[in-house]
This record gives sequence, structure tokens and C-alpha cells, in this order.
Amino acid sequence: MAMLETPRERPGYRLLSAATALPIAYVGTLLLLLCAYMFRPALLSPMLLMLIIRQAAPLGVAVIGQSLCIRILSIDLSFGGVAMGVSYILTSGYVPGNQAVLIGGSLLFGAAVGLANAFFIVRLRASSVIVTLAMGLLLTGIVIAFSQFRAPGDAPALLKYIGQTRIWNVPLAPLVWFALLIPIGWYLKRSVLGQYIDAIGANPRAAHATGIPYASVVVLVHVASSLFAVVSAFLLVGFVGMGSLDIGRDLALNSLAAVILGGVTFGSGRGGILGPAVAAFMLTFLFNLLTSFGLGEPSKLMLQGAIIAMAAIAYSARTRN
Amino acid sequence: MIGGSASRSSRSGIGIITVALPLSMFVLLSFAAPSFFTGQNIGNISNQIAALLITSLGQLIVAISGGVDLSVGSTLSLTSAIIVSFDPSIVIPLALFAGCCIGVVNGVGVAVFGVHPLVMTLATATFVQGLTFLVLPTPGGVVPPAIERLAESPISGLPGSLLWCAAAILFFWLLLSRSSFGLRLYAIGANPRNAALNGVKVVAPIITCYVLCSLSAVAAGVFLTARVSTGDPTVGASFGLDSVTVIALGGVQLSGGIGSVPGVILGAITLGLATNGMNLLGVSPFLRMAATGLLLLGAISLQRRKTIGV
Repeated sequence: MAMLETPRERPGYRLLSAATALPIAYVGTLLLLLCAYMFRPALLSPMLLMLIIRQAAPLGVAVIGQSLCIRILSIDLSFGGVAMGVSYILTSGYVPGNQAVLIGGSLLFGAAVGLANAFFIVRLRASSVIVTLAMGLLLTGIVIAFSQFRAPGDAPALLKYIGQTRIWNVPLAPLVWFALLIPIGWYLKRSVLGQYIDAIGANPRAAHATGIPYASVVVLVHVASSLFAVVSAFLLVGFVGMGSLDIGRDLALNSLAAVILGGVTFGSGRGGILGPAVAAFMLTFLFNLLTSFGLGEPSKLMLQGAIIAMAAIAYSARTRN
Repeated sequence: MIGGSASRSSRSGIGIITVALPLSMFVLLSFAAPSFFTGQNIGNISNQIAALLITSLGQLIVAISGGVDLSVGSTLSLTSAIIVSFDPSIVIPLALFAGCCIGVVNGVGVAVFGVHPLVMTLATATFVQGLTFLVLPTPGGVVPPAIERLAESPISGLPGSLLWCAAAILFFWLLLSRSSFGLRLYAIGANPRNAALNGVKVVAPIITCYVLCSLSAVAAGVFLTARVSTGDPTVGASFGLDSVTVIALGGVQLSGGIGSVPGVILGAITLGLATNGMNLLGVSPFLRMAATGLLLLGAISLQRRKTIGV
């Protein structure tokens, strides 16, 4: 990367390019906070900010998985189906066993979905968008068909505890998020796997040619991504305290938006783990701000679409220059 | 791959499975479901397939150009919402205008800015779905009689759906097989760089593809709304993935350059028969959704690509 930039190594230019290379999420979050400060200062009280961070935690966890997928030029849109499946396993009462078994079973289920996604993407070379969308459709259909005519039951006590408890006024859910985020960010920076992921993202063909275990990395990332979706669903089920068929419905799209806003793009090999995390907070904050302005679901959807499109356009325009 | 016939068949993408699947489904259904061959059911099938076929033909030309359009479902829903929400005299021009705008945004995002088509059209799909809810929050409303008549046939005994299908098939067949635009499109889809080096303009045709695709979704929306005589802001929700399933079943390569109108007709019949068959056999609609997912996974597994990923 540095070699390409040698003709333009003036300090001013470097400063400028460093500033424009920052993820949109940083600037966006600042602007939103400023906007809230001017029009809705109540949102900035520590109490509410803490609640918003707690609300952002499930998205934040899912975003880790999505950002890994997008870094290796793949994508995972099956989050909604995974979340519904997990909600069904945990709360339907059909699955026998205590909560440890239920939680373990959900993780196994997630790993199985990830493996299936990876099988289609790596072995059969199918487009990951279509594969994961179809997988989401498949899981959603099965879960709804199975859970018809039956009210969902209570969530396992452990997940309710995580979702609803606070220690010294700090809710537990964001701590789970940070406890995943920080070690994973550090691991990806330091480990061989992290270097592989960067190399594949920068140039898949070159990565393949240099003997990087391309297929294994893709499989690993997709399994990890589904597992993050499972943990994200744990948090969501814990918040609600019971099962719901609405759980995680917009997880896939929001995580995609957050990853793009967080500066991770297809094919650039760039982007860290912090940008998408900030973007997850930014989106959650934005939705709260919109609600406080009295805007409903339609405008939320429109904004979501506009954000994804504009962020994607901004990044492709930038990488072309 | 040497020889005229081989290269021809490779461009159409129609293989043995493309043809065998609808045939075997036809045979299977006529044995398994006694009510399959009744006149009413055949009418039902042609109605169900018509909107899907029209949307999928639009999806076909986008796919040949090397893209994909997931926003057709929302466009269809928006058309339905527009028809019941505005003055009857302006609804059709308004819906067509909306379709043009959606197509231009998709096309410019993909061809000018180089955004991945799936990301771009997923974004517009979300935006348009929000807009649709803004226009029509809940199902309902009355479809103007003039528009209802559009789904009826002027010739008695011939279902209106058949005429809609025939018109769409003729249009897209002429476009792809008998126009220079079609020829250029295949060249762009097969290899955009080669096409550009050979003097084929790349940007404008791709934008045109997305506009035509959105317009075909509008046409499907007009037909569907006219037939069910009420508006529904989520009527098109399944059409995005269904149309991709249809073209994949029809042998169209999602990586571009390969695909044909007959293939898409076969694909639409396959998916239509599958849906209708499960309907007749009393399968839950949600399991039908799961089955579509399975069919889609199967169909795209048949086409091995060179690359791994999106």
C-alpha cells in the first residue's frame, strides 16, 4: 500500500488522505451527537447513553461477524434466520434439556449454519449473497412453520440475567460486546489468521497463489460469523425475556450498513474492527434520535437504504481515486 | 466447446436439468394432485406465473449484463401502493416514473460508481420498501376499474395473464436476440473490459438494463394489483429472491453473459409449478418459503463460478 503512494508523499497530502480514510462512522457519530446536543439534549444524559449502548450491543456483536465476512469478500445475510432459529431453540419448550444444553445447542446450530453457508460458497462456488439470503429464507420458513399456533416461552434465566442486569449501573450486555470485541480485534492484528484475512481481502487471487489456505479461512470466517449471530440473538432474547418471531429481523441489513459505514469495504483489504463497532453505536443512536423526532418505521427503512447506498458509493468513489 | 451448436447452447445456458425439471414436475403433479388438471387450476397457475415471469425477464437482462437486482420486489410493492393511493388518471405514469428513477439510481450506482450490484440494489430495495410503507401503511384500498380491466383479456376464452406474458416475452426476445443492444449486452456481461476495448459503451447499456428491469417489475405490479383488486405494501416481498431463483433455474449465469428468454420461461414454470403443487398438496405457506430457499440453493449450486465470495 505504502509503495503505491510514494509519488504523493507530501505531509499535507498524507494528513488529508489520513483524514478522508477515516471511517464515515466517526464523523457521523460526532455529527449525530452534535445534532442531539442542539435539538434533543436529553438523549445525551449518561443514563440514556448507557441504554443506547446496551441496545447497540446485539448489533455490535453481529457486526463483528459481518465485518469478517466482508473483509474476505464474502457476506452473510442469514443473520435473521439464525436469530429466529436460536430464539426457537431457546424458548419453544420443544427442545429438551437445561439452559446449558439449550445454549450449547444454539451454538452448535449456529456452527452448522455457518458450515452449510461455507459449503455452498467454497465447494459449490455459489454467490455468498444468494446462498446466505436463501439460507435465511429457509431457516425463517422452517421456524415459522414449526412455531405456528404456539406462544413462545421464557428465555433461559442466564440470558435474562445478562440481558437485564446491571452492575454499579453498568448493564452487562455491552460488557459482553466489549469482551468479545477487544480480544478479537487484538487477535486479528497479531495472529497469522488476521494476516491471512487481510491478504485475501486485498487480493484473493494473489492470496490463493501464495499458498494461503483460502478455502479454510472462508469456512472459518463463515462459522465464526454465524456464531456471532447466535451470541447476538442470545442478547436479544435476553433483553426481551421471551421468544419472539421478530427477533433479529433487521440484523442482517443493519450489520451490513454498520460494516460499510465502519470503513470495511469489499476488495480493499482495509478496515479494522473498531470502525464497524462505532458504526453499530451510530446506527442505534440514529434510530433513537429519529424516534425522538417522531419518525416511524417507513422513514427508518428509507434512511437505512440511503445510508447503505451512499456509504457504498462514497467508498467506491474513494478507492477508485 | 467448438462448433456452432455447442457455443449457441452455452450462450442460452439451457441444460438438461433446465428442461427436465419442469417436465418431471408436471408429470409428478398430474399423478399426485388430482385437481391439478382442472381448468380453474391451470388458470390459477398462469395467473401466478405471469407476474413472476414478467419480473424474471427483467431480472434476466440485468443478469446477462453481469448484475442482479434485488429491488424488484419493493418496486412491485410500490406500484401496488401507488395504484390505490393516487388519482386514477396519474397512477400508471407515476408508477412508471418511479420505476425509471429506481432503475437509474441502481444503474448509476453500479455502472458509474462501481458499487457491487447486490449491495446497491439491497439498499434501494430497503429505501423503496420504506417509501412504500409511507404511501400505503397497511393493505387495502380500491383499484380503479380502468386498471382492473387491464388484467382482463379482450378476447374471450383467452386468459389476460397469457397476453401479458406473451407481450413481455416478445419484447425481451426481440431485445436480446434481434437487436444490437442485446448483442452488446452479451458482450458486456461476458467481459466488460473486452467489450469496452472493442468500442462497446458499457455504462449506458448497464443503466438501461436496470431501468428496464425496474419497469418490468412495475408492469408485473400493475398486473398483480389489477388481478387481486387491492393494494398491499408487501405484495412483492418474495419477488426479489423468487426472480433470482427463476433465472438460476433457467440456466442464466449470475456472473453474466449467459442466459436466454426460453430458459427463463422454463424456470418460471418450474417455480410456478412447485409453488402451485405444494399449494394443492396442502403444504404450509411458510414451508413453501423454506422450499423456495432450498430450490434457490440447489439452482445456484448447479452453476460453478471461478470466484469465491459475493
